[in-house]
Amino acid sequence: MRWLGVIPTLLYAAAGVAETPSNLSDRAQKLAAERNYDEAIKLWSQAIGLSPGYFPALFNLGYLYFQQQRYSDAAPLLERAAKAELRDFNTRYLLGTTYAKMDRSDDALRAWREALSIQPQNLRLMQVMSVEYSKGRYFADAASLARRALEIKSDDINIYLLAIKSYQDAGDDAAAFAISGAAMAKFPDSARAHFEYGFHLQKQGKIAEALEYLQRAMTLDPAYEEPVFFYGNLLVDQGRNPDAVPYLRTAIQIRNDYVPARAVLARALMNMQQWPEAIEELNRTIALDPKHPQPHLLLSQIYFRLGDEAKARQEKEISLRLRRANPTILEAAQSRPFLR
Amino acid sequence: MTSTVYIRILLASIVTLACFAQGVFTRNVTPAPRGAPSGIPFPVTFTDVGQKAGLRMRFTSGNEQSKKYIIEANGTGVAFVDYDNDGRQDIFVVNGSRLEGFPAGQAPANHLFHNEGSGRFRDVTSEAGMARSGWGSGVCAGDIDNDGFEDLYVTYWGKNALFHNNGKGKFTDIAPKSGVDGDGKEWSSGCTFLDYDRDGHLDLLVTSYQKFDLASTPPPGKTSNCEWKGMPVFCGPRGLPFGKVTLFHNRGDGTFEDVSVKSGVRALEGFYAFTAVAADLNGDGWTDVYIACDSTPSIFLRNNKNGTFTDIAAEAGIAFNEHGFEQGGMGIAVGDFDNDGHIDLLKTNFAGDYPNLYRNLGGGIFEDVVLKARLAVNPQFVGWGVGFVDLDNDGWKDIFQVNGHVYPELDTKNGAERYRNPRLVYRNLGNGTFEDMSASAGAGIQDAKSSRGAAFGDFDNDGAMDVLIMNMGEAPSLLRNDLKSGNRWLKVELQGTQSNRSAIGASVTVEAGALRQTDVVLSQSSYISHNDSRLHFGLGKETAARKITVRWPSGAMEEFPDAPAGNLVRLVEGTGQIKIMPLPR
Repeated sequence: MRWLGVIPTLLYAAAGVAETPSNLSDRAQKLAAERNYDEAIKLWSQAIGLSPGYFPALFNLGYLYFQQQRYSDAAPLLERAAKAELRDFNTRYLLGTTYAKMDRSDDALRAWREALSIQPQNLRLMQVMSVEYSKGRYFADAASLARRALEIKSDDINIYLLAIKSYQDAGDDAAAFAISGAAMAKFPDSARAHFEYGFHLQKQGKIAEALEYLQRAMTLDPAYEEPVFFYGNLLVDQGRNPDAVPYLRTAIQIRNDYVPARAVLARALMNMQQWPEAIEELNRTIALDPKHPQPHLLLSQIYFRLGDEAKARQEKEISLRLRRANPTILEAAQSRPFLR
Repeated sequence: MTSTVYIRILLASIVTLACFAQGVFTRNVTPAPRGAPSGIPFPVTFTDVGQKAGLRMRFTSGNEQSKKYIIEANGTGVAFVDYDNDGRQDIFVVNGSRLEGFPAGQAPANHLFHNEGSGRFRDVTSEAGMARSGWGSGVCAGDIDNDGFEDLYVTYWGKNALFHNNGKGKFTDIAPKSGVDGDGKEWSSGCTFLDYDRDGHLDLLVTSYQKFDLASTPPPGKTSNCEWKGMPVFCGPRGLPFGKVTLFHNRGDGTFEDVSVKSGVRALEGFYAFTAVAADLNGDGWTDVYIACDSTPSIFLRNNKNGTFTDIAAEAGIAFNEHGFEQGGMGIAVGDFDNDGHIDLLKTNFAGDYPNLYRNLGGGIFEDVVLKARLAVNPQFVGWGVGFVDLDNDGWKDIFQVNGHVYPELDTKNGAERYRNPRLVYRNLGNGTFEDMSASAGAGIQDAKSSRGAAFGDFDNDGAMDVLIMNMGEAPSLLRNDLKSGNRWLKVELQGTQSNRSAIGASVTVEAGALRQTDVVLSQSSYISHNDSRLHFGLGKETAARKITVRWPSGAMEEFPDAPAGNLVRLVEGTGQIKIMPLPR
């Protein structure tokens, strides 16, 4: 009975009651609550027509459009709402999120920066922004925000992890290493903290120590797959392929869809010239992550070594096509300018 | 204001936080662990004798304080070449230019220095007809008309030059007449002569870094491809038009035919190409080509023996690193570092990445063993010119690498990176691993420059391999290897008869004592540079090579008898005899 929602509007008009932006907006709100979105939109639009800077109508209509994933309709309304209410956190947050949905990362960050200036202690927003900064390659900003979050709340391991990742992205391995050490001290029973510390020990070139911390992480949480995988990966890097295989298989047992572990296992098997097993592993990897170019590249190399050039070429072409579809996935180091 | 309470935003409901899981394939790699010092004395000391030797010129490559466009950043190649066949290596250096140009008659030019002996060089640029200016890039050498004198091809942003050597100390640019000058729109970089069809005439392959146009290239800082660690820097190469590969077939009458389309090389796309090396990389007796590409997959053109080539770099394992990442490839060393008879490759890359040590497993299949070989210890530098060269004559090829960042603006920042960097010397320990000896290899190694091209040769014929280096905005370095070792050596010079006279593409295996060393004659390697064409083999304590085997570019295999150490031997195709040649000092 959607048409029933229209009745109050008609009654108002028939009674000749003077419409105000406020009562139009209130009625729109009720209609929206009843899921009569088309009529709600009409009333909020009328309210805005009567008073172009009327904040409640601008914001609510913007949010409705956002919910309906009509981001390009939502953005201009939220921009106007932000101008109408200069200190409204929610408007700026929602505007930033709308921009993010539209892949306008820089605009999103600008809106969120304004939101953060209104609520400077908002940890959740800091986390969101730090991630978005990293996506936009503003790694220094991401790191600085994560550091700020860490200063506000130092008992949340997730914030430590965010800071470690941000500093690592920013190319500041020393800071990432220091924060991972602090996380280790703060959370001595955390397998995740041990893993991060082991990972950064490896980045410092301390392989033996790294392996030790990864072992501790495995002991603390045998169901945590990352240290098991990374341990195996380090062994492969050192040419210890047969030693690596059991670790990589364990990581996959813990998490069947663990694509990087399967790819490294395939590489270890290739190095051991166990071609059928390597092919099998790569095919499983492809089934799990059909968009990643690397398994196809490795398959191409296996077929080439086996003398099947047609299959090798076919797999190479798939790999190159997937690369072109996602050019940043395996690009050169200097192709990604990272900001300090 | 009741409407405002209708919607309360739940932050968590709108934005899902990204997964923070750690990734293995991280950028910005840090130095891998070094092995324990071997303790074996390293008798090599490098001293820069460039100024004393008379190499008085200065390389120009745009602004040395701040670079606005990528054309200013890549520098040029250098060459050791004996252009007058007097037995001494002469020097040719390619020069660049600058964006604002020069007053008439003052533009920097390439330079040719004649080796006068006794460690002295004389600038003969003008009298030799080599004084061409412009944005030069790379150089390759080869005897295009089999007249016994090495000719030079020089690449440019613009028309390329083919300097024909008349054998009397004069060169003439015959590129337009020969049909190899290009369309003038490309920024050509690498080049190599090769005889891909075994007809005995050297053909020519030219790589282009990109089709570069100042008018359409964005200024520094304009996009995300124009920033480095918070600094606005020149844009590229990402985002700029790609380069191409061109193949010219030598008709044998002084002219060349562009066979890029019918050979298949024009079908290649999506790369920024630098150095090109021509050698038989899959051991089938036909000359292949490997091309180092910047920020894009590198290229391995397998010779299909029918006038066509197929890029099999990805399949063969030399397009990417072992994790499948594209890399900023610059220079290439070619040689058999592990003395297993297969020609290996070492590719230098951009900073924050390791070089690739591609070990040839045979049949043109490679594996990157850079970590195992302990060469992943200096990723902080942008690597350029590089060579496999036996510096201490112990029979194992060492590695020499020159470095230099592309952004001079780094010197104004507080970070650790600098525009000028020291050189690197790695000693081959003979067990598949290398040891960084840079700290103890002399002042010539620690001298920080922003270097690009490097050529390897023995300019003073003393049996120790020296290095010629291009330095951005400065004079060239001529690093004399003051070797203090009793190790012996042998130099081999090839002369083709059925094959091209320069024997480019030939592989030579020298057996002495327990070692069996292999090397190849190249037209270009390192970073868009040309090495001394005489192959140099350290023999350790051996007094002679008991056998030399040559696989000529024609496909013929030929054995040569005993060659006594301490000599240059000339091997002429089809004679089976060695001829000891003079080595004037």
